[in-house]
Amino acid sequence: MDTTQLLKGVLDLAVLAVVAEEDGYGYDVLRRLRAGGLVEVGDASVYGTLRRLYAAGALTSYVVPSDEGPHRKYYGITPAGRDQLEAQTKDWTTFTETVTDLLRPARPDRRDHRQPAVPEGARP
Amino acid sequence: MTTTVPRQTALEIAGFVEQVRTHLGDLTEEEREELTGGLEADLADQLADGAVWSDLGDARSYAAELRQAAGLPAAPRRLPRPVVPTASHVEAALDRCRSAVDRVVQADGWTRGAWSVLVELRPVWWVARAWIAVTLLDVVAGPYEPVSVVPSLVNPLLGPVLLAAAVLGSVLVGLGRVWPGSGPDRPIARRVVLVVLNVLAILAPVWMQISMPGYVVGYYDDGYDDYGAGYAEGRASVGPGLHLGQKRVTNVFAYGPGGKPIPAVQLFDQDGQPLAQSAEASTGRGAERRAPCPAYNGATPLFNVFPLDQVALRRGTCEPETKGRTTPTPPLAEVPPLETTRSGAGG
Repeated sequence: MDTTQLLKGVLDLAVLAVVAEEDGYGYDVLRRLRAGGLVEVGDASVYGTLRRLYAAGALTSYVVPSDEGPHRKYYGITPAGRDQLEAQTKDWTTFTETVTDLLRPARPDRRDHRQPAVPEGARP
Repeated sequence: MTTTVPRQTALEIAGFVEQVRTHLGDLTEEEREELTGGLEADLADQLADGAVWSDLGDARSYAAELRQAAGLPAAPRRLPRPVVPTASHVEAALDRCRSAVDRVVQADGWTRGAWSVLVELRPVWWVARAWIAVTLLDVVAGPYEPVSVVPSLVNPLLGPVLLAAAVLGSVLVGLGRVWPGSGPDRPIARRVVLVVLNVLAILAPVWMQISMPGYVVGYYDDGYDDYGAGYAEGRASVGPGLHLGQKRVTNVFAYGPGGKPIPAVQLFDQDGQPLAQSAEASTGRGAERRAPCPAYNGATPLFNVFPLDQVALRRGTCEPETKGRTTPTPPLAEVPPLETTRSGAGG
């Protein structure tokens, strides 16, 4: 499955989560996302997402001069960003649970999709 | 964490970011800065961390990805219209130049050291540009004159006064006391004025250098007397002493009608002036330096008596008390004797 399509939908959430943990500059955020398992994530996508979240007020940014090279632009989360993170985390959890539940019946035997799905356990 | 990448890479990154910015040319300066601010540091880290250029792709698609992720409209279909430079563009360009120079300067210990020395030497430049300005005026204003330390201008007093005023003004500008001032934190118009003036001051001597020799050769080749000492200065590359065309004559050897060397002849020109070697007409450098030594008539040195003796001197000229003078060996021991002497031909 093409995970890049999935990624697009949740990149905001992932970036917010990483920045909420600790302020970071563009590449720092990218590295932490990749270290967290999102190895496919594109650098320009992350940098662009940071910018959009900043423009939307979810992030704040500040520049840290460097003695050795170009300045770094750090991002930190704002209260609005925390609210957004919280709300989206809830949405995400609900959504994934729903999808997981939807997928569960297919698990026992994926090789035969024609077989009628048999519900397992009690479902709400 | 700070990451240092080789200067070449830093320049490549700056170039890439510049291209990305070009592809974001339809956005406002603020949006562009938000998208690309800090990008150089991020890319430097990525590359230092093992990424390769091919991971970045081309600037156009990189810009498109940035744009899309940032939720900005895609680039217009038409080619990015030529951006008419506005004040903010010019200012941003100046800032980028400045930071690019800073980065190059800060890249190494030795460049930092050299830069700090150059910064201390700024007053030298302030004086130099003042001198260039007045000299330029001098060159443009009147007929050709040799460039002198104190520009002469029309009135002998005007040159020094103008030069002093220009130096004062230039130093005050350099110190930021007088319009247009110095340094990055000023209105863009004043920065541009200073840059233009400084560039002119750098280019002006080149222009003077190019324009003058033609001027001199074309009209004043025979103007020796009129232009006197200054003209001689202009010809300083030829040097003092005797010359045959452009070639220096360091000594003269006379041979008699019989073809034998004459130990001493006194030479005079058509006006009865001594055809004299210059005391400064030395040859070679260091241990190889040879200075001409005159013959003496009483206490009077005669530099028109040839062949001149020579002495090895590291510096200075041959004085009566100088020891070690030698008589040079004639280049030819003998030349063919004349079949008829001049008196014979006349008779």
